[in-house]
Amino acid sequence: MAITRRIFLKNGAMTVVGMAAIPSFLAQAAMAATGSATNKRLVVIFQRGAADGLNIVVPHGEPNYYTMRPTIAIQKKDVLDLDGFFGLHHGMAALRPAWDAKHLAIIHAAGSPDETRSHFDAQDYMESGTPGVKSTEDGWLNRALSATSAESSVPPAFRGVALGTSLPRMLSGSFPAVALGSLNDFGVAPRTPQSQPLTNTFESMYAQSVDAVLHGTARETFDAVKMLKSADPAKYKPAAGVNYPKGRFGDAMRQTAQLMKANLGVQVAFTDIGGWDHHVNEGASEGQLNNLLKEFSGSLAAFWQDLGPLADDTVVVTMSEFGRTARENGTRGTDHGHANVMFVLGGPVRGGKVYGRWPGLAPEQLYQQRDLALTTDFRTVMSEMVARQLGNPHPEHLFPGFRNPGSLKLLG
Amino acid sequence: MTCKKPLIFALALALALPATNALAASHKDKKPKAPPAAQQPMDERERAEHLLNRLTFGARPGDVDRVLSLGVDQWIAQQMRPEKIDDHALDARLDPYRTLRMSAAEMVRNFPPDQVLKAVADGKLPMPKDAQLKAVYTSGIARLNQKKEAKNARLAENADLLGTNPDDLTAEKREQRQAAREHARSRALDLLEQPAAQRVQTLAAMDPDERRGFWRAVTGDDRERLTSDMTPEQKELLLSLENPVGVVNNELMQGKLLRATYSERQLLEVMTDFWFNHFNIYLGKGADRYLVTSYERDVIRANALGKFRDLLMATAKSPAMLWYLDNWQSVGPDSKAAGRNKNGKPNQGLNENYAREVMELHTLGVNGGYTQSDVTELARVLTGWTLEEPRDGGGFIFREARHEPGDKVVLGRVFHENGQREGEAALEMLAAHPATAHFICTKLAQRFVSDAPPEALVERMAYTFQTSDGDIRQVLTTMLRSPEFWQRRYFRAKVKTPLEFMVSALRATNADVTKVQPISDALNRLGMPLYGAQPPTGYSMKAESWVNSGALLNRLNFALALGNGRLGGIKLDAAKLAEAKTVDAKPPAMAAKPDPDLDVQTRLEFALVPGGVSPQTHQTIAQQRNDPAISGRKLDDPPRPINAGAVAGLILGSPEFQRR
Repeated sequence: MAITRRIFLKNGAMTVVGMAAIPSFLAQAAMAATGSATNKRLVVIFQRGAADGLNIVVPHGEPNYYTMRPTIAIQKKDVLDLDGFFGLHHGMAALRPAWDAKHLAIIHAAGSPDETRSHFDAQDYMESGTPGVKSTEDGWLNRALSATSAESSVPPAFRGVALGTSLPRMLSGSFPAVALGSLNDFGVAPRTPQSQPLTNTFESMYAQSVDAVLHGTARETFDAVKMLKSADPAKYKPAAGVNYPKGRFGDAMRQTAQLMKANLGVQVAFTDIGGWDHHVNEGASEGQLNNLLKEFSGSLAAFWQDLGPLADDTVVVTMSEFGRTARENGTRGTDHGHANVMFVLGGPVRGGKVYGRWPGLAPEQLYQQRDLALTTDFRTVMSEMVARQLGNPHPEHLFPGFRNPGSLKLLG
Repeated sequence: MTCKKPLIFALALALALPATNALAASHKDKKPKAPPAAQQPMDERERAEHLLNRLTFGARPGDVDRVLSLGVDQWIAQQMRPEKIDDHALDARLDPYRTLRMSAAEMVRNFPPDQVLKAVADGKLPMPKDAQLKAVYTSGIARLNQKKEAKNARLAENADLLGTNPDDLTAEKREQRQAAREHARSRALDLLEQPAAQRVQTLAAMDPDERRGFWRAVTGDDRERLTSDMTPEQKELLLSLENPVGVVNNELMQGKLLRATYSERQLLEVMTDFWFNHFNIYLGKGADRYLVTSYERDVIRANALGKFRDLLMATAKSPAMLWYLDNWQSVGPDSKAAGRNKNGKPNQGLNENYAREVMELHTLGVNGGYTQSDVTELARVLTGWTLEEPRDGGGFIFREARHEPGDKVVLGRVFHENGQREGEAALEMLAAHPATAHFICTKLAQRFVSDAPPEALVERMAYTFQTSDGDIRQVLTTMLRSPEFWQRRYFRAKVKTPLEFMVSALRATNADVTKVQPISDALNRLGMPLYGAQPPTGYSMKAESWVNSGALLNRLNFALALGNGRLGGIKLDAAKLAEAKTVDAKPPAMAAKPDPDLDVQTRLEFALVPGGVSPQTHQTIAQQRNDPAISGRKLDDPPRPINAGAVAGLILGSPEFQRR
């Protein structure tokens, strides 16, 4: 049985009122679909390990770039030129059509202003949304959901989901977000006749538990299980002609699309892709970085295509904890640097443009004489995303201590 | 909670732990229920359970009594001297896994990586003479060749077909695939007629291409049947024909889980796990596939209860760490080895990776007061710390020619040019730094006491750390003698990590594990793959990282599968567990009216969770265990005993079992 929100809507509010037997979360979901902001979606992608932004969106018009990277620079002839100055690494070719259709925007020299070059700290800061402050307990994406949920009657089940086995720092906090490793296995003894009674048993066991942490998690878990079962996302196969690359990231994007198409009320989705820490033999237009970029861009492009009409109201934004040294290191790789590149892909995106001020790569223009300097704080980008995609009127509350110099107007 | 021999236990405790004896005595005096339960000190059974929860991978049935009969202090003293604990039962379980005793070079020889196979194929290395090893090499070379020219051979095509998603195939291809599968199945049935030893010989003698196709066609249960009666050595041979490095990594994981589950030297294993995670290495990074076995054995476990400085130094010189954090490739820009290109720039240079992580993650901690300049300077100090032929399993070597000349300044201290000794002095400085003492003790207290340990406890441990030259045993002793460790608020307060959860379930059920793959698979699903933490930070020890919806479902499913005996290669006898009489297993319900099912349930609860589960959990299981879907009983069945395995699964999935 698949009772989706769409069916409720079609039958009108009367039906909902008259259906006392329907679980309340479904009824609420049906009613919630009338709220405007809940129709919009934000997908956040974290490239963990510090992606080499300078080799992904290549400043091929910048001679210093070539002198600093004698063996790993992407030669002019190998880039997919964007605007005469910047060009995409050809591993990103899958996203070229989105750029041409003006649905892909790029922000260069962006990221976190904190000077740390520790993966752990830098990720922590970008997820808490408070660079330099370690004591922040929750993640900014969670705060964004908490702030909007006060006005929303939608139950939390799938409003905030992370595709992956554990909940990232960014989505941790008081708002109950869900981590999903795989949609098929999201249940107690899934696909067996014992599933229902066992679910009931554990649900009852945890419902009565005085263990506050486990009690809360379990309640969210069992709500989500019920909802997912009703919506049956497995029937939403990728659209014709859409091929997700093999691997964890492709799977995550495919399942994100399934959840959205199943109309489960997803507002925020998160997933990450690791393996960017190329200290050694990074490669230029071929090699390690290229292979990873193909997986990265191929998965995003497939997702974009797969969403169909839902893409109109969906925005994907990418981030990485810091960039890499402007100069290549002694082992044909790059060490931990500073500013990086961010991508914004989506229906409302004013794409086909590289945003942000380019700080240059001359020695005196580098941050601490070694890294790309930062000209756009990631919180500027995220404030706009949260305001527009989550309908949050006060994104400034999400990033305490941050003075936003003004929106880049990435979304039209 | 009452005790059978309160006097004796109180006496033992008083002798064993003078510092806290007042607490125990006052608790006894105030019985039955003077202060609210949340404030009562732990009674002696709870103290024993707490100790087992924190210092082992979980209590086995009867462990609480064993601790009490030995005395808490005596038990701790034993665990602190693992070399004196007899562990022959574990040794027997580990015996078949010979790579656990090999050097990296021996592993490379016996389980050749592709580079070695290629060298033999190109005639640069000789083909081994030993017949069995020769088969491994021949098969490996065939596999390499097939990768190159995979297309033409029909068998290869079939093999590939079998690996493709059926939806992507045409009807014709699907038929071919079906035919190949049926052929392989009938072949498998023939093979099953043979005794295991002969079956291995037949498979080993098969043409490598054909065997590859065969294994792709034979899946699931059939594959299980083909190999289930083989000895570990026979399985090892078969796997080494297809995937030599897989043998090395499988045995590593086998060793890890068997030790955690069966070693009597539990504290040593817990500390080995702790330090491995602290000095994390990711198994999947190139040569580390062959280097981690020795790293864990010779570097981590060998120093797990020794001096921190020795542990740090051993990790710094370990091939596994030099490889993982790239220091082996770092070259002083002004060293001889760096060379010069035509513009006068060095051809090779620094790699800061290890220099940064050793301060941030291994010693000072991220707020330990170092700067980017310290990172670069330490990287200069550590140039020349490299590896001899890492891909062949070679070891640490200091190469003067790669070492950066001149003085360096790290944390304000000048290190004059002094070759390898420079790096050693810098690491000694880091090991002795007060920030290191504080950082290490915070992490230890997080592992053993609480996600947010009391600062006073950490300070006390750090003081011991600094005054004992970083003696890990003494730091742990200070922790165990601190009143904070024994506070009621920390009883069952730590959420088990996925690894702790699974191993504690195996221990609680006295499970007989012959194959660890179901466990390692489940750990992958729970986001904690063995040796699979890619970043140098290792895995979190805090609850928030492991408590979320998806993770909870995975735990419940693992608990049910284990309880119901549905994990291949893992046997447990739940009915037997329920026979064990424990001191605690006598709640009033049992006395009121004879109810054998409730009796079994209750005994299981106390067998699996020493102090028992909550009344709520007990009630829920009591209500649900007769549901036909859970009990397996049908309505018209004659009465039969309770399904102990199913009940065990429910208990292992309970909230109480998720904490330690």
